[in-house]
Amino acid sequence: MGTQIKDVVMKADAPSTLLLDKHADYIAAYGSKKDDYEYTLSEYLRMSGIYWGLTVMDLMGQLSRMSKDEIIEFIKSCQHDCGGISASIGHDPHLLYTLSAVQILSLYDSLSVIDTDKVVEYVKSLQQEDGSFAGDKWGEIDTRFSFCAAATLALLGKLDAINIDKAVEFVLSCMNFDGGFGCRPGSESHAGQIYCCTGFLSITNQLHHVNADLLGWWLCERQLPSGGLNGRPEKLPDVCYSWWVLASLKIIKRIHWIDKNKLRSFILACQDEETGGFADRPGDMVDPFHTLFGIAGLSLLGDEHIKPVNPVFCMPEEVLQRMNVHPEILN
Amino acid sequence: MHGRIKLKTTEEQAEQKQKERLKKLHFYDTTRSACFAKRKAGILDEEGLILSGQLLAANPDFATLWNFRREIFLHLKEEKTPEELQTLFEKELSFLETCLRVNPKSYGTWHHRGWVLDHSPSPDWKVELELCSKFLQFDERNFHCWDYRRLVVQRAEVSPQEELEFTHKLIGTNFSNYSSWHYRSTLLPLVYPDTECRVGRADEEALLTEYELVQNALFTDPNDQSAWFYYRWLLGRADREETVSCLYISREGQRLIVSFSHPVNVLLPKDELILFVDGLPLRVTWKSPHPQLKRSAIWICELPPNTINAACSEHNFKVHWQDGRIQRECILYKGRSESWCRDSATDQQLFRCDLSVEKTTVLQSELNSCTQLQELEPDNKWCALTIILLMRALDPLGYEKEMLQCFQTLKATDPMRTAYFDDLLSKFIIENSILKMEYAESRVVDLSKKNLTNLCHLDQMQLVTHMNLTSNRLKSLPIHLSMMQCLEVLEASDNEIECLEGLVQLPRLQEISLQNNRISKICDLRPLASCPSLILLNLKGNPITEVPDFQSELSELLPSLKDLIV
Repeated sequence: MGTQIKDVVMKADAPSTLLLDKHADYIAAYGSKKDDYEYTLSEYLRMSGIYWGLTVMDLMGQLSRMSKDEIIEFIKSCQHDCGGISASIGHDPHLLYTLSAVQILSLYDSLSVIDTDKVVEYVKSLQQEDGSFAGDKWGEIDTRFSFCAAATLALLGKLDAINIDKAVEFVLSCMNFDGGFGCRPGSESHAGQIYCCTGFLSITNQLHHVNADLLGWWLCERQLPSGGLNGRPEKLPDVCYSWWVLASLKIIKRIHWIDKNKLRSFILACQDEETGGFADRPGDMVDPFHTLFGIAGLSLLGDEHIKPVNPVFCMPEEVLQRMNVHPEILN
Repeated sequence: MHGRIKLKTTEEQAEQKQKERLKKLHFYDTTRSACFAKRKAGILDEEGLILSGQLLAANPDFATLWNFRREIFLHLKEEKTPEELQTLFEKELSFLETCLRVNPKSYGTWHHRGWVLDHSPSPDWKVELELCSKFLQFDERNFHCWDYRRLVVQRAEVSPQEELEFTHKLIGTNFSNYSSWHYRSTLLPLVYPDTECRVGRADEEALLTEYELVQNALFTDPNDQSAWFYYRWLLGRADREETVSCLYISREGQRLIVSFSHPVNVLLPKDELILFVDGLPLRVTWKSPHPQLKRSAIWICELPPNTINAACSEHNFKVHWQDGRIQRECILYKGRSESWCRDSATDQQLFRCDLSVEKTTVLQSELNSCTQLQELEPDNKWCALTIILLMRALDPLGYEKEMLQCFQTLKATDPMRTAYFDDLLSKFIIENSILKMEYAESRVVDLSKKNLTNLCHLDQMQLVTHMNLTSNRLKSLPIHLSMMQCLEVLEASDNEIECLEGLVQLPRLQEISLQNNRISKICDLRPLASCPSLILLNLKGNPITEVPDFQSELSELLPSLKDLIV
């Protein structure tokens, strides 16, 4: 016996136009409910939450509505003596939130407010002998952290601080039979991980190691009849996977292998017409994470109401141009 | 937030919910503050475990609290007796199991479990293996659990053979288990290593048994993609060994071209390429055919004047690569204008699969079963695609007609992936054309009217002098076209070409037909200025011909052009 194909049914009355103003209002209001239970409970990822909110606002041309000074003060108070940055005050530093903080400061062109030399030292200290990166001093190894390390350093213009050859070697050791990548050597391929690894190889100029035809096939097979993309075979579609798959396809120059119109309809159907924001699937609860990846996905699909997004850093192209950071795209 | 359905609530319900939330918020706030205060004060005791446990049970992604627990354990290790410690660690494991039942997909929980086991006085990895099997029964695709299992397997020294049997059992219950097929792809080469020591490939006999298992899966549930993905891998081939595949010398052009099996950067010290002429090293400057190709399968050097002497009966050219481990040699005889030495695509079976010739009967029987399956399931795209791959593994030229038919089926049954199928078909057609050209010992390639959407394998065509791409659906002449260093005539009329970025520094290119394409700006033609031999250019039926002053601008750009057809 086997498993039935999982997918969602697209309803005829689902939203089909882009509700930009509502999304901007949703994000602007999100951070103001600081006593809210859900908001408080997500403090362990606050720094990433802020990155998601600010990036989507910037992509919609609404960054000025966010409280820049307050956010910059917050980031400053999250940098630790070791150089690493934590999700929130009182939490421990981690590569995930170090990257988010550096991304936020890049949007604001304010990298100098933190001690960037110490950030570089922190990232460097987490590289292991086999080239991999631990997320923090407790030693969890994951290719997500290889991406965080390379992306952070690239934004700081200090990529040469780490052993790049070894780092590349480790990421390549996580490549699988299907051309995809997993968390660690031997781990199953997963769209989020593929995004991290192709992004890492793009930043380090090593995309020629990717079997683009094989990986591109696996990625375009993530598209389901509803038009949405899943993250692994036999899984449900999700707006965030739409981003990870789409960005990976863009990096390996195969974005035309999916049906763009159908994906666009799926992403639009995940909007909440009442509250603004995007959910993982039509009819679910919205959140800033899926709102960013919905908007960023539409940008990659060529929506002209949104600023062009960079597929590797998930930041506006104009920001990376300004910083002179040019990750490789396969030719 | 994943999979949380938005529900309509009444005012009363909302008020009730709000009250509960406030209560929960208060509990969260006080407990978190208590944990942080203890930690700040350096109090690392069992109460810290209780407090942080209350939060982590509901919110396992609160990473800092796992760190707090680890600090407590490291501290208690100094204080407690081994017996007391053992009890504490056991309690932690059962707490973790409860957490995993509530949230089996939390990175932090699984990582902490591995940490606890690694620091436990007497870890029982066998019990952990059973735990993994149990959690994989709840969800056979939980990649966190699979990854934890691989850690346990390593620590408990479980053999790959046993793990292979485990995946076999899971696949037996449900063929549609991508995680298990994936695991097999890593285990098979360990249990049955390839006799030729190719990394990541399995022994031929093992591959054949594996085909049978997959066939079972395919016939049971032909619409399940997992087994088809795995099958495609089984039918694939090992990576080619890195080598210098061709050495070409042009007397007239005073240049030498080296081709590699893979894109390389010979400007890097580790990939240094050294040229010897008549036994003596010669310092030359290598360049790739296109400035954007930092890595390239083709590298070119101009020979210093007088390197080639017309009176000399022969010149011996030789390149050393990778410290001389890889070499290739070619002789240019007196009176010859060019010379080359290369591996051929037909000899190397470049476009076929790993199985030896003796085993192709097996592939034939695989093809027969897939054809049977297709009769039962005429609309199954996976089956149609696999048939194409099998036919290509067996005899790419012999099955060309059938392959084209199968592609029609594919596009009709899976219109969402039309662009993928178009590009794949383009690739196969180009492969076949290369084979035909080599069998005919010709340097002319006719790819007209093939519905091509994409150009690839251009590094295999570096000796081609005439290429016909008329009447396809090409949107560009990509930068890889610059590898066709011998190209003299290019026919590319009736396409959708907007950009010519690949027509760069092609020393022998004389004629280009680009009738009825979409070239609209003079700057799109700029690459042609770097092709010194160009004398004929046909731009009839392109938007650019409507641009005022276009002809005068063009003659400025291409002063040596003799025939411009508009």
